[in-house]
This record gives sequence, structure tokens and C-alpha cells, in this order.
Amino acid sequence: MHLVHFAATRALASSAVFLFITVLLMATAKRISTCIVLFSAQCAIITAEILAMAYVHRSSEAYAVAALVLIVKVLAIPYALFRIVKDLQAPGDITASTTAAQSVFIAAGLILLSFFAVEPYSETLRVDTGMLAAAIALVLSGAFLMVSRKKALAQVIGLLVLENGIFLAALTTTFGMPLVVEIGIFFDLLMGVFLMGLFVFRIRDTFEHLDVSKLRRLRG
Amino acid sequence: MTLLFPLLVPLLGAATVLVCRRPAVAVRVALAFGALEVLAIGNAVWRIRAAGVLPAGRYLRADGLTSFFLINTGLIFALVLAYSVGYLRHIPAGRFSSPRWFYGLMFLFLFTIMAVYLSSNLGLLWIFVEATTLASALLVGFYNTEGAVEAGWKYLIVCTVGIAFALFGTIVLYLAAVRGGVDPRSALDWAVLMSAAPNLRGAQDLLKLAFVFVAIGYGTKIGFVPMHSWLPDAHAEAPSPISAMLSAVLLNCALYALLRFDAITSRAIGSGFSHTLLLIFGALSVVVAGFLMIVQRDLKRLLAYSSIEHMGIAALGIGLGGAFGLYGALLHAFNHSIAKSLLFFTAGHVRENFGTLRMERIRGMGRALPWASAALVIGSLAIVGLPPFGLFVSEFLILTEAFSQARYAVAVLLLAALSVVFGALLYHFQRMLAGDPESAPASPRVPAADFAVMGVCAACLLVLGMRIPSAFSSVLRAAMAVLQ
Repeated sequence: MHLVHFAATRALASSAVFLFITVLLMATAKRISTCIVLFSAQCAIITAEILAMAYVHRSSEAYAVAALVLIVKVLAIPYALFRIVKDLQAPGDITASTTAAQSVFIAAGLILLSFFAVEPYSETLRVDTGMLAAAIALVLSGAFLMVSRKKALAQVIGLLVLENGIFLAALTTTFGMPLVVEIGIFFDLLMGVFLMGLFVFRIRDTFEHLDVSKLRRLRG
Repeated sequence: MTLLFPLLVPLLGAATVLVCRRPAVAVRVALAFGALEVLAIGNAVWRIRAAGVLPAGRYLRADGLTSFFLINTGLIFALVLAYSVGYLRHIPAGRFSSPRWFYGLMFLFLFTIMAVYLSSNLGLLWIFVEATTLASALLVGFYNTEGAVEAGWKYLIVCTVGIAFALFGTIVLYLAAVRGGVDPRSALDWAVLMSAAPNLRGAQDLLKLAFVFVAIGYGTKIGFVPMHSWLPDAHAEAPSPISAMLSAVLLNCALYALLRFDAITSRAIGSGFSHTLLLIFGALSVVVAGFLMIVQRDLKRLLAYSSIEHMGIAALGIGLGGAFGLYGALLHAFNHSIAKSLLFFTAGHVRENFGTLRMERIRGMGRALPWASAALVIGSLAIVGLPPFGLFVSEFLILTEAFSQARYAVAVLLLAALSVVFGALLYHFQRMLAGDPESAPASPRVPAADFAVMGVCAACLLVLGMRIPSAFSSVLRAAMAVLQ
């Protein structure tokens, strides 16, 4: 039993590192499908984190949340995104406005920045600095992915990463929200991805491309 | 049960309308469910008036503030529904642009808005505000043209990201409440938070952080500058009845969410911080939107920027607080929703007859469409805040509060912005109204239903401008009492 407990606490402590790795890899990824796999991996890390937390704090609600994350974020959303990529039959590159090297440097900078940002709070909140920094880093890099990627689907993935960050922040600071609220948020997320998928098809059908940076008829 | 009806009716309505394949049947079913919904809302308002606070189960609750916004939503929804019957006749049929999709999505949209007003839990409130975006995004993109798809995509992405910030703010508030000793199971319940607020003074930093994120998040949905980028596109590209719903119902719904958070923050750490933030957002919105109105070319974009400006005025009223500030702000939100609906309904007629909303291509509207022109003139006189219309009273109240608090900077800024807006609207509309029409209008007659709808709008504005009925005034005072 001690061994499992020890493993759970180690998993909690080291998961931040794995999350940083997914952030950096996502910054270099050139294809949508790579981004989807990385997103799925990121959610799997978060699932493991929730499981460890559920074990350490003996919370049955947390097991339910872990199951939800596993079903919705690790499996359902990536599956839906893969289906969209396949049905679109469009080139699967993300067309970034920064080069891969620049993106990595920016992502690394954002990770450093988030460590500085959480420094004053981690003392008073009595939470693990690494975890909270990982949450903020996910929020920031999600926002960065959204502004620097031109393809509609890549922006959706940026949004999902941003949402992951907010979810992780809730998890580290409050051990999650009440279960009803969590379920509602997951439902919104699922519907949101569904609708964005629908709009991606509409954009392709009306504009015959997926480069949202070229959608600029409406101005002023 | 009283509170369940206004939620169940639109859900059932959406489900029923979606299975009606024949357009004429779908319209009739929608009207029937709409009438039922208005009755359900009326019943809820009546019960709240008698009971003061109406709790229902763990997750539903209604009080004076809810009641005020329910009246607003019920009135505008009834008007929009009546107007949409005539409007839908000239929508080209497409795969998703049929009456059943229009009404089905509109009922879903209404359901999410009612759920925002009736949920007692701030987490659920967030979930349903996000759901309003999801339910209305397809309505914004209803025409499926290039512009509509672009506006729908922008609306979906900008609002989802904005609202994500509000979720973060909600989580931080939850964190502050749990650290302050509130039971985690009820730490998102608004009434519980409100009574526990004085004990949360210790968590001042967290509460401030929470309010900043919530103000940015829900502010995106309200359309505060600089988070307003989605608003003109969505309002301009959506069908006119939906533009009216967005401007008159959705923006107020987001304002309601922000008011709930403002009340908790003000009670816990004093109103200084949150109200200053609202004053900043309000002033920015009023000034920037006012100047952008001068350069607009599209009628509905012009009206959309005017919505941003008026939401800014409401934010200024809330930020000033005091005896008249909040009263004026609530009254202003209500007045604005009626005047803006009237103007969007008129814009629908303009588009039908001139085939465009580009204002430089519209000439001689006064001769071609006398009745629609009358509505445009009444609506624009009301929206710039001239007496004897309701917006004059509410703007005057807010200005009075600014002067009585000796906040001359706010008062002068508001007056200056109002004069810019006045000039901009006068310039645009006199060019549209004057002159000879280039071609004969397609259907100059205003259908009886639309005539009645616009008449009701004008009558409400006039009544609220002359004297606020005592029953309505007591609703407003009950709404204010909830927040203090």
C-alpha cells in the first residue's frame, strides 16, 4: 500500500514535467494529426494526475471526474477531430505564422513566465508550484497556439489546450469543482467541439479553404 | 414547478418544432409554444412578486433581480416571435435555413437564457452562458453566406475564449470561498456566497483576481471594448429577429451574470475595486463605440456599435452606484432592449425592400417606406436619448448620479460621447431618409403583425419616458434590493 501511495505522490509531482513536454512538442508540430495525438496525450497525463489525486485524498467524486476526462477528452474529442480531418480531405498542415524554432522559444518563454506568475500565490495557497505553473503555461500556450496558427482546426486545438489549463488550475487549487458543474463543463466542451467542427465544414464549403487568417471581409 | 415551466416549455418547443417538416405547421407550433412560454414567464414573475425569493430544489432559484430580467426577456421574445413570422417568408430555403431550424434553434437559445436567469449556482450560470453562445452560433450563421459563416466562426471562437476566462474567475471565487470556510458543496451557490461574503475579507487578493477574470469573461459577451470584436459581425450578419434577440436579450443576460458577481465582490471587499473596473470598461465602450459609429457603412453594424455604447452606459451606471446609478442602469438596459429591437425590426424591412443594408445605397427611404421610416425616426430619437422616450430618463438618472457624486470626468465623458453618437446617427439617417428613391420598393406595405410589434415598442418607450408605472418601479426596486 505504501508503495502505491508513494507512486501516486511521485506521479503528482512529476506530471508537470510531462505537461511541459507536450506543450513544447505541440509548438513544433507541423501536422494537425500530431497536434491531436499530443492533445490526447496531454489529457491522459491529466487523467493520471486526477487518479493519483483521487487515491491520495480518497475522493470518490474524483474517480468519476477521471472517468469523464478519459472518455471525453482522451478518446471522444480526439476521435471526433480525426474524423473531421479525414472527412475534410484537406492538406493536414497547420500553417503557422512563426517557424518551429521560434514557436519553441516562445513556448519555453511562456513556461518560464508562468513560473514567475504563480510564485506569489503558491505560498499563500499551499499548492505545488510546478502544477500551478503547468496550468498557467497551458492557458498561455493555448492562447499562443490560437493566435499563431492559421488553420481553423489548429485554432480549435489551441482552445482545447487553453481549456485544459483552466481545468488543471481548478484541479490543483480546489481539487475540482462540484461534480454537477464538472459534468456541465464537459457537456459544453463536447457541444463546442461539435459546433466548431460543423463550422469548419461550412468554412470549407463557402470559402474553399480553411485558412481563417484570410477571413477578413468583416471589418471596422 | 413554477420555475421549471419556463425551462421545460422552450425545450419541448424546440423538440416539437424540429420534427415539423412542413414550414406552415412549424410556424404555428412555434407560435403556440411561444405563447405558452410567455404565460409561464408571467406566472413565474407573479409568484416571485408574492414570495420575494423563490427557491426550487438545489439548483434553481429566483429573486427580484431574476424577475426584472425575466420580464425583459419575456417581452422581447414575444415581440421577436411575432415579427419573425413575416420575416421568415423571404428567407431563401436552404438545408438548415428552414423555419423549423430557425425556431428550433431559437427555442434552444431561449432555454439557455432562461437557465442562466434561474440557476442558483454560479458554476451552472457559467455553463449556461457558454451554452447561449453554442445555441446562437448557428443562428448567427443562418444565411450560410461568406459573411455569415465568418461572423458565426468569429462569434463562436471569441466568445468561447472570453467565457473561458470567466470560468477561471469563477474557480478563483470558489477557491476563495472554500478557503474562507464555506462548505465546498455549496460554495458556488449565489445566496450562500452572498451571506458568507463579509467573512471573505481575508481573501482580498483572490476576490480581486476573480472579479478581473469574470469581468473580462462576461464582458466579452456584454460587448465591452476591447473584447467587442465579435459583436458587430454577429449582429450584422444574423437575421434581423436574431440581431434583436442578441442585442436586447443576450447582452442583458451577460450583464446579469456580471451583476451577480459584482454584488458578491462589493459586499466582501467594498465596491471600490469592482466599480472602478466597470467604470473603465464603460467609459472605453462609450467613447470607442461612439466614434466608430461615425464611420460605419452598414445599417446593422451601426446599430451593433450603438449596442456596445449603451452597454457601456449601463456599466457606467452600475459603476457609479448610489441612489440613482444602479436604478438608472437597470432601467437603461430595459429601455435599450426595446429601442434596439424596434430599430433591428426596421432594419429587416429596409433590407427586404432595398435588398441591401449599405447606407450609401439607400436613398429616399422617407418616400418609399413611410411607415418603416416613421419607426426608424422614433427608434433613433429614442436611442440617442431624447425626451419623451425612456432612454432619456435612464441616461438622465445616470448623469444625475455622476454629478451628485461630483464625478465630473465621468459626466462630461458621457455627455461628450452622447453628442458624438447623436451627430453620427443624425448624419447617417438623414442621408437615408431624404431624397428620391432610385427604384420602387419591393413590398412597401408593413404587415399588420409587424405594425403591431413596432407600435408596442414605440408605446413602451413613450410610457417609460413619461412616467414609470408604479408596478414596474417596484420590480426595479426589488431587483436593486437583491444586489445591496
